[in-house]
Amino acid sequence: MNQPKTKKILIVNQSAPYSSGNAKESLDLALAAGTFEQDVSILFTGDACYQLLAAQKPKEIDSKNLSQMLKVLPIYGVESLFVDEQSLLNRNIRHIDNDLKITKISASESRELFQSAATVFRF
Amino acid sequence: MVFSILVLGAPFNSQSAYSAFRFVEAALESKHTIYRVFFYQDGIHNSSAIATPPQDEFDLYQGWQDLQAGYSLDFVTCIAAAARRGLLNESEAKRHNKDNSNMAKQFDLSGLGQLVEATALSDQVITFGQ
Repeated sequence: MNQPKTKKILIVNQSAPYSSGNAKESLDLALAAGTFEQDVSILFTGDACYQLLAAQKPKEIDSKNLSQMLKVLPIYGVESLFVDEQSLLNRNIRHIDNDLKITKISASESRELFQSAATVFRF
Repeated sequence: MVFSILVLGAPFNSQSAYSAFRFVEAALESKHTIYRVFFYQDGIHNSSAIATPPQDEFDLYQGWQDLQAGYSLDFVTCIAAAARRGLLNESEAKRHNKDNSNMAKQFDLSGLGQLVEATALSDQVITFGQ
């Protein structure tokens, strides 16, 4: 593989954690992009807010715990995690997992995030 | 312009795979470069060797295979997404102790690093969604 240059990649996550493969497969892409030393940000919006809840028990439905995987992102160099504040409010989500280092942002701040990204992947 | 294409939709199930195909054709006809076409999520089904659409319908599977062969394009199917959805080439079938493989030879199986590399080395990545 050629040594890739660094690009600003934004992964927009708008899916609930266990209703489809989107959450898992967007996370896999984030880990790969982090491993290849790209400048990766993840924005959680819409139903993706449910990925951020603490004390998920996906074992009950024979699924892997995705929130545990979110916590290892910094090890792979993915440290810019954002959540759309309005999406949390709309769903009355007041507490997200304390172990996640994630920044709540406004609609105008997420617009800036989109504008500054060279490539956006949406899941 | 150097494009890479991300295909997330399966043929028939969604229009996105066909739109991606037409985009690649149009880009090549306009003398643009297609650095790589990466098939991820349900898009991996485009690389099936055995899907058989009715004869009076456009065969998108064959379309991709001809396009790859005609322009020597780099088609990469995500190995993890493909394995969990039941798409294996010969060596993967052997590795997982399966009796059969079902992937067209015009597609390479590889990891998401290939999508990341394509993103870094292309001017634009165009996603055709689910």
